[in-house]
Amino acid sequence: MVTPAPAGRAGPTLSVAIGRGLVLPNPIGVASGTFGYGFELGALCPVERLGAIFTKGTTLRPRPGNPPPRVAETTAGMLNAIGLQNPGVEVVRERYAPSWRSWPVPVIVNVAGADLEEYARVAGRLDGVPGIGGIELNISCPNVAGGLDFGLDPAQAASCVARVRAATTLPLIVKLSPGAADIAEVARAVADAGADAVSAINTVVGMKVSLALRRPVLAGSGTGGLSGPAIKPVALAAVARVRAAVAIPVIGIGGIADAADALEFFVAGADAVQVGTQTFVEPDAALRVLDGCRAYAGEAGLARLTDLRWSPGGPASGRGPGGG
Amino acid sequence: MRPIERGGGVPEPLAPSDLGRARSGLAVVREVEPVGPGCVELVLDCAGVARAARPGEFCQLRVAEGPVPLLRRPFSVCRTDPAAGTVTVHVGVVGAGTRRLAAAQLGDRIGVLGPLGRGFTVPSGPGTLLMVAGGLGAAPFPLLAAAGHARGAKLVWLNGAATAARLYPVERLGAPVEAHVATEDGSRGRRGRVTDLLPALLGECDRIAACGPNPMLAAVARTVAARAPGLPLEVSLEAPMGCGIGTCLGCALPVVGAPALALLCRAGPVLPAVAVDWGRLGTLPPAHAA
Repeated sequence: MVTPAPAGRAGPTLSVAIGRGLVLPNPIGVASGTFGYGFELGALCPVERLGAIFTKGTTLRPRPGNPPPRVAETTAGMLNAIGLQNPGVEVVRERYAPSWRSWPVPVIVNVAGADLEEYARVAGRLDGVPGIGGIELNISCPNVAGGLDFGLDPAQAASCVARVRAATTLPLIVKLSPGAADIAEVARAVADAGADAVSAINTVVGMKVSLALRRPVLAGSGTGGLSGPAIKPVALAAVARVRAAVAIPVIGIGGIADAADALEFFVAGADAVQVGTQTFVEPDAALRVLDGCRAYAGEAGLARLTDLRWSPGGPASGRGPGGG
Repeated sequence: MRPIERGGGVPEPLAPSDLGRARSGLAVVREVEPVGPGCVELVLDCAGVARAARPGEFCQLRVAEGPVPLLRRPFSVCRTDPAAGTVTVHVGVVGAGTRRLAAAQLGDRIGVLGPLGRGFTVPSGPGTLLMVAGGLGAAPFPLLAAAGHARGAKLVWLNGAATAARLYPVERLGAPVEAHVATEDGSRGRRGRVTDLLPALLGECDRIAACGPNPMLAAVARTVAARAPGLPLEVSLEAPMGCGIGTCLGCALPVVGAPALALLCRAGPVLPAVAVDWGRLGTLPPAHAA
C-alpha cells in the first residue's frame, strides 16, 4: 500500500471553484461595501493577492445614498445606513470593468434593486462584459426605504434569483440575510432557483440611540446594518445551518478580523470567506487573514482549508496549532 | 505580473485626495504633553507621516488592539518634525476612544494610518493668512503656521474657547503670529465668541483658514459671505467617520451642487466654504453626539 505524502508539504490548495467557471485563486475575499470597486485603497491593500473583490452594491441608476449621519460605532461593531450610494451599472460597465480585465483577482459585482425588474436589468447589463467575474445578488439591503426585502422569504428569494438567472450567464452568488425566519430554507430555495453559491451573512438590522439627543443616531428611520466582530456568532451559526442545507459553495461573512476568525468559518462549513468591516480598521486586513490561514494550513498539514469542516454528530477532531 | 491599472475611481463631486502618500503602521509614543483640561498632545515616532503630511491633513489612530472601540479616530496632523521623524496629534477627550488615547503612556505603540485627506491651501508667498480656531479646532494650525511662516506670510491668529484654560497656548503655534483672543466667560481677551473678532480683521487678510465645531464654521462662513464675499475661506469640518479612506461612504457631508454629498475623508476634511451646503449641514446633529 502506498502511503500518501503528508498533505500540506507543497502547501495547501487554496483555490475555490464557485461554479460556471469562476475560480477564486484563494478563499479570502473582501466584502461588498467595504472595498468600493477595488480602486479606492491603492497601495494600502494591493488587490493582486486577494481571492475576490465583491463590489459596492450596484443599482441600475446612480444613487446618491442616504443623508447623514450614516455610520455609528457600537460595541465591537458598527452600524451603517449608506443607502446604496453607487455610480450605477453603466459606470461599472464602461469605466471600471475595462480595468478589471487585467486584474488577477476576480471582481464580483454586488447587484441590488428595488424590484425584480431592476435586479434583472442590472444583471443583464453586466452579462458578457469582460472583466466581470460574477454577480453577488444582494436580495436584502436593510437600508433602502421602499425596497422589497426578497431575502426574508424563501419563495420571494427564489423568484428574484430565477429572474436574475434568466437574465445572465454570469456565475451567481446569492447573499443571504440573517433576518430570514429560516436562513437554511432560503438557502435551499435560491439553490433550487439556480444560484451557483451563497454568501452569508448580510448585516444585521440594528439601532443606536443617543440618550443625549433622545433619538436614534442614524438618520431616517434610525436603523442600520450591524457589522463587525459583534455579529460573528450570528454569522457562524448561519453558515453552519446553510452548509447543512445546500450542496453549493458557501461563502462566510461576518465579523472576521483575523485568520483565527476566518478559520472558524471553515470549521462551520464555509468554502471561502469575505473580510468586511475590519478593512476599515486595517486596510490590508484581508491579506493578513490570507497569510494567517496559509500559515495555519501549513502547520496543521491541511491539504485545503475545507478540511477543517466540522460534521455535526461526527467524532471530535484533534486540536490544530494554536488550538485550545 | 502586469501592473494594475487603477484609472477611473469613483466619481465624486469634489476631486478626492489620493492615498498615495498614506501608510499604515505602529508608532511609538515619544512624548505626552498635557495642553489644558482634557487635552494632550501625543508626539509619535512616525517618519512617513512626518515627511509627507501637509497642513490640514489627518491621520486615523487606532484606539485599541481588540474590537472595542472598533474604529480608528481621525486627528488633524498638528505638528511634524521631519528631521526627528515625529508627528504630533492634539487629542481632546470627547468620548471613550479619545479618553483612552489621551491616557497613552510613553513607549506605547499606536496604529497610525496617514496622512489622509485634503488640507489647507498653503500661502504661496507674502500676504496675510487669518487662522480662526475654536476649541479643539486649534489642532491643524501649528503645521499650517509653520508652512505659512516659511513662505513669508503674515499670520493672524484668532482663538476662541469657553474659558481661558481651554484656549490653545499661542506659543505652541511655533511661529510668530498676531494673536486675538475671545472667551465666552470673558476670563481672557474679549468676552464672546471667536467669530465676534472676525469682522474687524476681514479687511486686512488675503485668505482665511478656520477649524472648530461646525456651527462656528457656519458663522465664519456667514460673516465672510456677508462682509467680504470673494475672500478665500477654507474650513476644516467634522463628520462621523468610519474608515477615513473612502470605502465605507459613512462621512458624507452636504455640499453645493449634484449629487449634493461629498465624502469628508477624501474631498476634505478641508473644503472651500463656498462648496459646503451650510443650510443642510446645520440640520445635522454634532459629530460627537453618538
